[in-house]
Amino acid sequence: MNGSPNFGSGCSFAPWADPHEKPLIRFDAVTKKFDDFVAIDNLNLKIYEREFFALLGPSGCGKTTLMRMLAGFEQPTTGSIMMNQEHLTDIPPHRRPVNMMFQSYALFPHMTVEQNIAFGLKQERRPKAEIKERVEEMIALVQLQPFAKRKPHQLSGGQRQRVALARSLAKKPRLLLLDEPLGALDRKLREQTQFELMTIQEKLGLTFVIVTHDQEEAMTVASRIALMEQGKVVQVATPREIYETPNCRYVADFLGDVNIVGGHILGPDDKEEDIVQLAWHEDYAPLRVRLPQPVTFPAKGKEMWIAVRPEKVRITKDYPTDTHNILKGKVLDIAYTGNISTYHVRTEDGQIIKSQEANLEHLHRRAITWDDEVYVHWRAGGCVLLER
Amino acid sequence: MKRFSFFNASALTLGFAFLYLPIVLLIIFSFNESRLVTVWGGFSTKWYSAVFANKGFMDAAWVTVRVGVVSATLATILGTMAALVLVRAGRFPGKTLFSGMVYAPLVMPEVITGLSLLLLFVSLDFDRGFWTIILAHVTFSMCYSAVVVSSRLVTFDMSLEEAAMDLGASRMATFFQVTVPIILPAIVSAWLLSFTLSLDDLVIASFTSGPGATTLPMKIYSQVRLGVTPEINALSTILVVLVSTGVIAASLLTKRREVQRRREERAAFAES
Repeated sequence: MNGSPNFGSGCSFAPWADPHEKPLIRFDAVTKKFDDFVAIDNLNLKIYEREFFALLGPSGCGKTTLMRMLAGFEQPTTGSIMMNQEHLTDIPPHRRPVNMMFQSYALFPHMTVEQNIAFGLKQERRPKAEIKERVEEMIALVQLQPFAKRKPHQLSGGQRQRVALARSLAKKPRLLLLDEPLGALDRKLREQTQFELMTIQEKLGLTFVIVTHDQEEAMTVASRIALMEQGKVVQVATPREIYETPNCRYVADFLGDVNIVGGHILGPDDKEEDIVQLAWHEDYAPLRVRLPQPVTFPAKGKEMWIAVRPEKVRITKDYPTDTHNILKGKVLDIAYTGNISTYHVRTEDGQIIKSQEANLEHLHRRAITWDDEVYVHWRAGGCVLLER
Repeated sequence: MKRFSFFNASALTLGFAFLYLPIVLLIIFSFNESRLVTVWGGFSTKWYSAVFANKGFMDAAWVTVRVGVVSATLATILGTMAALVLVRAGRFPGKTLFSGMVYAPLVMPEVITGLSLLLLFVSLDFDRGFWTIILAHVTFSMCYSAVVVSSRLVTFDMSLEEAAMDLGASRMATFFQVTVPIILPAIVSAWLLSFTLSLDDLVIASFTSGPGATTLPMKIYSQVRLGVTPEINALSTILVVLVSTGVIAASLLTKRREVQRRREERAAFAES
């Protein structure tokens, strides 16, 4: 199963699913402490060759520390980081086959675009002709030919971002680290640049690790996403898996919008054997969730949660048929964001359920409006059961 | 908009008169024909040729310039090193003490600095002269250059150095190819400050100099004790002109570069 859009159609790229595949980077029981503060907590992670790997999480979750350990600016307190079969931990930053694109771009202000890009190659004392050729190649890659002789302050934000990218790619690193690379760009430019990054990564066949707090960005560019919280990796999966089958409420809530209802396991459904029933309120019918294959039933009476995405919740005025979970309520709020409308519905016992509808036609008058009595409903296969 | 009122105008005039009247008087009397300093005897430039013909003045000036250049260079190197450690080394035991001690010579009375250096040189049996003045000047001017350079280093973006190392530059290469060029303006102003301090100094130089090494301020002071001559006025005028030309040129240059930079930034923004 591959949720990544950036590897062309028909070709399935999933080295993490192959037990024989050797990872490019391996974190083994890595802990990083700053005095008493635990930034990274006993973390294990594998990153494979040619992956576009996203480290996602709120600020302070340790994603930047993790990246800085890969670059060599921080040392793990305990545990080891391996690159292929080699300990990365003992190699100083300037000897690692790893390059980084900094959030602030960190362009050298006293050098021109060309000199910035050539800096890394000059340190290796490569022949002049080779450096020149490589710099030209890089400038062409990021389409900065007219600006080669300019200094960073003579460039716009988007152009600086390109210079930073070209500079970090010039040495053909085994691993490229991108620290919030698009954070300083405005929305339109950011979306465009995301696709350019993917194209470049595919074209050069390199391994990219991107740190971001923007979940849409991670979903767009990444082959896999590691979602972090307080120094731990909570889930590592493809964008599709992590969105559709989050492994806990934190993940479900961090990525996109979600409705969560808590309850206790009642037992299997009487009609369909892969559906489990969750008792959530004594006055209402239990909620039904279809379990993934192979089916393992949770213990009866166990406290669990149902997570369902608003776009999978339908809203109707009439009592629906051919569905599994139906709740009656009143429309409390409608958020209109142009492409979609989000209805906030309060059920009779006070639970708020969000339902999203795409605005397929010009909206002159809504069929459903404030204070209407409605039914919100979703199918058992549209929601997931979470243990924590 | 009536901002230039009578009050403002008179305050400005009085303030500037207070500052510059003595110097203006000095310049006027340097063109005095008369030997008597305070009596105007007609216009003449003869004292200027007298200054240039005076071997004592010329020797002293040459000593002063050499002392200034050597001590400013040493002080800038030492001051930059001290600033690097104090700003970059993170926390280490005694850091507060050390950074306090770097600033201490700034507030130390010059007489005490001079006297203590004299005692040191005497007890070490050093021959006092050119090199002892340099050592003494380095001692106090390196503090000033440490202050100037460290105030620049505090705002230095560390990711620039990290980027250099990430691209394969060793610590040494990073320092000379990235850090130094970026903080160069601060290093240059530290050097200029140290040089000026060395040129100005009378007290410490008097304590630490020996026969054969007389700086210009010492020479002027000893001449004045025998009575102010128009020659001294001419010499002082030359110094005033040199210093003010330097300062005005430097500030014009900075201003022009700033304007140029802002224009280029605006152009880059407009293009995108």
